[in-house]
Amino acid sequence: MNTKQDILDPIVERTAHQVIADEFLIARAKILELAATLDRIERSSGDVEDSIPMNLLAQGMHILCDEEVDKAKRVQLLMSRQYDPQWQHTMSITRKGV
Amino acid sequence: MDYIDPHLHMVSRTTDDYETLARMGCVAISEPAFWAGFDRGSVESFRDYFRQLTEFEPKRAAQYGITHYTWLCINAKEAENITLSREVIAMIPEFLGAKNVLGIGEIGLNKNTRNEATIFLEHLDLAVQYNQQILIHTPHLEDKYQGTRMILDMLIGDSRLDRSRVLVDHVEEHTIEHVLENGFWAGMTLYPVSKCTPQRAADMIERFGPERLMANSAGDWGPSKPTAIPDLIMELKKRGHSKELIRKIVFENPKQFFSQSKPFVHG
Repeated sequence: MNTKQDILDPIVERTAHQVIADEFLIARAKILELAATLDRIERSSGDVEDSIPMNLLAQGMHILCDEEVDKAKRVQLLMSRQYDPQWQHTMSITRKGV
Repeated sequence: MDYIDPHLHMVSRTTDDYETLARMGCVAISEPAFWAGFDRGSVESFRDYFRQLTEFEPKRAAQYGITHYTWLCINAKEAENITLSREVIAMIPEFLGAKNVLGIGEIGLNKNTRNEATIFLEHLDLAVQYNQQILIHTPHLEDKYQGTRMILDMLIGDSRLDRSRVLVDHVEEHTIEHVLENGFWAGMTLYPVSKCTPQRAADMIERFGPERLMANSAGDWGPSKPTAIPDLIMELKKRGHSKELIRKIVFENPKQFFSQSKPFVHG
């Protein structure tokens, strides 16, 4: 069976310059969509500055700009409910002999 | 390129979609039982649905040269109704001998409740009792991480299960590693908004490698694209990946996983 190294051809190891060249216009379009969404909220009546969704978006945008790696995973975790390793005990889920 | 879509709800799609899929290279699909968009009222509704999945849908697919497989269960959303769920689980064995049934699925969690977990565990008992493979739905959006971890706790806690016969679906960046490192198969669902894009799926293939990993469209009655796998093929080609790697993800891996069920015959 092929290993990860065997099957991932070196040709796909694009340089950072190649990635930004390939994907700049796509990223540009996405950041514009986000900017326009924020403008739309700003133009609308009412105040959502302290709302949970706005807070999550603000924290997500902070992740995009920080120096850390794994940005997609960290944004996902930011937008996720917490996992409690004791959930089976809390919910009284019991299994015998499995 | 020939490909297999391991998760596609064709009962919600038109016959035109079958023709389009065939033209784009789809040679086989597997269709897990799922939520119809409304809660069904009785076990007889499920009996009719399972007849549709095991009798009618394979014939419709065959008209376009596509082999149709299926998985049976009561989905996580309707599993909140414990009484109905137990009636459906008791009825499922009537259909396990059908020639296109690959196993039990898509079972899982929706809002990560006690009732959902109870019925998930009872589905595991059914799968073990009848030596069936298992296909698992993980929750959407903010519930995904918590629900996936809960599902893995239940799977890992069951020593009767062969992990190589379990597919955990709808993985994303924050759940894929937990699934793969515990020896299960993982499926990435290509959805326009709520799950994963072809670009992010390609990123996960590059980061985690192609072993025990597949992709699906999960096309259904909601916003979805049944031809999403060709989009992933295109993205991988654009990045310069080899035909061998692409074929492994979209054909060989589903074939290898499904081959563990007797009804799967695709060569």
